[in-house]
Amino acid sequence: MAANANPPPSSPSPSRIDKEQIIGMAEKEMEYKVELFNKLTHTCFNKCVDKRYKETELNMGENSCIDRCVSKYWQVTNLIGQLLGSGRPPM
Amino acid sequence: MDKSMLADLDSLPEEDKVRMSTMIDQLQIRDSLRMYNSLVERCFTDCVDTFRRKTLDKQEETCVRRCAEKFLKHSMRVGMRFAELNQGAATPD
Repeated sequence: MAANANPPPSSPSPSRIDKEQIIGMAEKEMEYKVELFNKLTHTCFNKCVDKRYKETELNMGENSCIDRCVSKYWQVTNLIGQLLGSGRPPM
Repeated sequence: MDKSMLADLDSLPEEDKVRMSTMIDQLQIRDSLRMYNSLVERCFTDCVDTFRRKTLDKQEETCVRRCAEKFLKHSMRVGMRFAELNQGAATPD
């Protein structure tokens, strides 16, 4: 490699507008994550926890159910993300 | 939910770090208030069915306490698992 070769032109540093857009997108993504967490929590509670509230602790069955529910919900999220992201035209 | 689940702040320049941190704080406040409301709604719906009196009876009060405790414990557990999945860790079956 030649020591004095010109380095390729670097892309201009992000302008203030680009930075605002990036921060805006980051904020949207954070809001999305919060909403995802909340929906996930409510959905898995409904599916896994006995509403008779016979005690304050979660029993072993409920714990396992919660772990699996979260895992599956996450998989569904990714799956749908893929389907939406493939950019197919809407039917 | 803790901040690290939302954004990796350490790599940012100071002014951006402050700005993002403030944003996250506001999200968390809003989220806490929302959680308060939804928890009340849930436990009321699950525990209170009769309106013969103005005050909660012992049974209803116990039910509401258990409902809230259970939901909070559940929420913490979900938070743990969510954080694991968020980081891409493999989880046991």
